[in-house]
Amino acid sequence: MLNLEDLYRILRTGHVQAQGIVDTVPVPLLVLDSALCIQSANRAFFRTFKVERYETIGKHIYDLGDGQWDIAELRLLLTDVIPKTRAIIEYKVEHDFPGVGPRTMLVTAHTVFSPDDVSTTMLLSFVDATERTHREAEFEVRFGELRHRMKNLLGLVRALANQTRTEGVSGEEYRDAFLGRLTAIIDANEQGFIGGGDGNLEKLVVRTLEPFAASPDAITIDPGPPVPLDPKQLMSLGLALHELATNALKYGALSKASGQVHVRWVVEEAGGRLLRLIWSESGGPGVSPPVSTGYGTQLIQFAVAYDLGGKVEPTYATTGFKVEMAIPLTGTTQQRLKAGGKDGPDRGR
Amino acid sequence: MEKTVLIVEDEYLIAMDLKFMLERRGWRVIGPVATVAEASSLLEVELPSVALLDVNLGNELVTPLAEELSSLDVPFALASAYDRPELVGGAVLGDAPNVGKPTAEARLLIVLAKLLED
Repeated sequence: MLNLEDLYRILRTGHVQAQGIVDTVPVPLLVLDSALCIQSANRAFFRTFKVERYETIGKHIYDLGDGQWDIAELRLLLTDVIPKTRAIIEYKVEHDFPGVGPRTMLVTAHTVFSPDDVSTTMLLSFVDATERTHREAEFEVRFGELRHRMKNLLGLVRALANQTRTEGVSGEEYRDAFLGRLTAIIDANEQGFIGGGDGNLEKLVVRTLEPFAASPDAITIDPGPPVPLDPKQLMSLGLALHELATNALKYGALSKASGQVHVRWVVEEAGGRLLRLIWSESGGPGVSPPVSTGYGTQLIQFAVAYDLGGKVEPTYATTGFKVEMAIPLTGTTQQRLKAGGKDGPDRGR
Repeated sequence: MEKTVLIVEDEYLIAMDLKFMLERRGWRVIGPVATVAEASSLLEVELPSVALLDVNLGNELVTPLAEELSSLDVPFALASAYDRPELVGGAVLGDAPNVGKPTAEARLLIVLAKLLED
């Protein structure tokens, strides 16, 4: 038989053990009685909220720490929500705690009914989610930016699809023309990612013109000085080169077995760097200036003039079509990098 | 009466798309231009019936232009990928309809026609 003295002893050691266990829990814990007075608290609680044991135990929760727990959201939780349910998981409370600062706390509450007693106690735990909330907010911003870029990219695809000619062409021809343009953009975009650095002109020219060379000497490339390009320049120049090659294949030098395309470039340093890219065709059919500007030609104009701030000067010599593109390198790349433009360092375009 | 629309959009393919889309539907397009400064100087030459504006122009926001258009009583619509452009570009964009991006032709035409009426 257990006498009263033994029972007290067990309860006392039991309590000490329970306190020991509670103290090892890294999350701040409070035990409240039904009147919302603090019966017990663990070390993490004292440490986190910078309070002492003597000023905590026995106090009403709203009087604790000069009333720092008298929070409207917590009052609502304790008086309205808790009585209706046995447990609340991670209820978010935002509060500026004196001496601790603004914090986002996730409060979890459990009501515990003691079997021998009509009274109830409540276990409250607090997880400091301030850092997590910051990270989540940051993620939201980045995610929003990503979504915005994605929509922009979809708009671009839509524009290409909408503007690829449909009059007098078969479905297959339309598909090939559209996919050709899309692939040029995808390839150019991809080069901005490879190696994490900028792409460069030589790689872009080689890669873009590769599919158009029916024989090894149909297209010759005479590389000039190295020209690093940012993603925007890569995409615009890539598409412009693709359009030039497409036109050459349809109407120009590449439409004949004997025809040749020659690409070279120079960089002028006088007053800001200027890239001059020269595309010349020879050995093709006779050339005459077109009566109307095709979409491909307008695309080249837009890509170079609108997007890169450059100039396109075509010459329709009888020996073959020739075009010179003058593109300022200082006014775009450098300025954009200096301004830390919307693409940022991760080159998300 | 001739319908004119000023297009401000920094992405050249999208600018071209909007231009051709609207030209096919009987609008005369002013621009397109990619910057606030270019758009401002076009306004000195001619006031459009309406304007269609992208919000984020790469290195700048369209906000100063929207303010200028408001003071000139030129109604404008936005073609922005942002769900709530006014959070990015300020209150002056709050009342402007957003035709979205990618921009659906049908919605664009309805919104611009409504701007003409008002």
